[in-house]
Amino acid sequence: MKRHGLRSVLVFRLRAALAAIGHWARTQLRFPLALLAAGWGVMLDGVRPSSWRRTARAEFRRTLRQAAGGGLVSTLFTAALAGLAMVSQALYWLGLTGLDRLTGGLIVTILLREVTPVLVGLILLGRSGMLSVTELGALATGGQLRSLIGQGIDPFSLLVMTRSLALAVSGFTLGIAFAMGALFVGFLFSSLLGSIQGSLWRFIDEVLTAMTAADYVAIPLKLLFVGFVVGLSSCLTGLEAAPEEDQSVLMPRGFARGILAVMTVNIAFTAIG
Amino acid sequence: MRSDVPVLVLEDAVPVFEASGLPPWPMRLSLMPGDCALVETRSGRDAAALADLCIGLVPLRSGAVRMLGSDWDRLDNRRTAALRARVGRVRQRGAWSDMLSAQLNILLPQLHHTDRSVGELMEAATSLARRFGLPGLPTERPDRLSEADLARAACVRALLGRPALLLLENPVAAEQPDLLPPLLDTMARMRERGCAVLCLVRDPAVWRSFERWTTHRLQLGENGLVPIDPAGDP
Repeated sequence: MKRHGLRSVLVFRLRAALAAIGHWARTQLRFPLALLAAGWGVMLDGVRPSSWRRTARAEFRRTLRQAAGGGLVSTLFTAALAGLAMVSQALYWLGLTGLDRLTGGLIVTILLREVTPVLVGLILLGRSGMLSVTELGALATGGQLRSLIGQGIDPFSLLVMTRSLALAVSGFTLGIAFAMGALFVGFLFSSLLGSIQGSLWRFIDEVLTAMTAADYVAIPLKLLFVGFVVGLSSCLTGLEAAPEEDQSVLMPRGFARGILAVMTVNIAFTAIG
Repeated sequence: MRSDVPVLVLEDAVPVFEASGLPPWPMRLSLMPGDCALVETRSGRDAAALADLCIGLVPLRSGAVRMLGSDWDRLDNRRTAALRARVGRVRQRGAWSDMLSAQLNILLPQLHHTDRSVGELMEAATSLARRFGLPGLPTERPDRLSEADLARAACVRALLGRPALLLLENPVAAEQPDLLPPLLDTMARMRERGCAVLCLVRDPAVWRSFERWTTHRLQLGENGLVPIDPAGDP
């Protein structure tokens, strides 16, 4: 009888421990799984013509204008700083050590493949992702989301799909602008310092020659995916806001998730490539 | 020509209490085209929950809710959205999104569900807005409008297009009696066209003069949705 009681207590404790581990694991995995599911949902919705009603098209245009148009100046300014700090320094030190032939490869590896997607992702997250967290969070906690559903409007198609795809396009656009700006400013500064000889076209040709065929696919894809995950994680963070949660809870959560999403995409592409 | 299909049927619908706060009793109601039901509710929350029940947003323990012959529980997402597009609603909570101007808030359902031109929609909405005492379509954000103007704008949004069902949650407050005549006038026209109306009110005194127009009078209380007899006793 006593042994039976002891066994019941042990089983109870084991079950409680397993439940705690399961709860922790589910909590940690819930958002990444939701992100994957929502990403697939956006892809499916995005290719369905009926999803692109005029309200969805207007929301897509509005987000694109806000993210790509509004973020262009910040991106070019950051690109100029990156050009000064990174490209001109690389050109200077490689020139000094007689390793000029490595210039193109180094710039492609560091600037185009690694730094550009991360910095563009951060700009998108700060300027547009956090805006989505705030706006969608307010809709979720204020009851407007339910109101939209009651009007027969699917918030996923109207808000999540359009914003995620608009940020994907913005990621590509701003990424290309960033790379061009950084290369141009880096070259200009190095020319002024006298650490590079030759024309801008020769410098660009050197960089392009260092790019492999895979780079022409991987870099644009990485930029698209970075913008996409920033949009998706921000929208989902906003939409899943509980009624008692305010901006002071949502903003740090949205920022942390956005950074993790950007870094995950970056590392995944680097690992594959 | 009016259809013989009821616009709204609550067929012994028992809502899940935990999801809605509505009493878990079987609810019965049938609204034919042109019918108008006046339902007294205890609170705005009850009114919103009952309106949600009518458009399939509240899970049911048993029974069914049908609109225009379609059971909400058996419709796929696209058909559900299309059917909800035929409902005009004045709601109290979460009615306005401050992301958009009041004008876009009003036009959004029509812009989403129809292919009527923007100009045509603006014209129809402006005409309705003037009928409700607004100088035109309000272009400010909803949080910058007064309560009275928001109530007028809510009526414009609900009545825009050709809804088959109107769900009105306390559309007229006691301090806005001037809103009642244009609302009743527009409702009468819509009922002639076959629209059914479910009017959920907290203060029946405001609607006293309107009672003779109604086809059903009910009360939503602890015992569920109970018909009220003409003498006024549940």
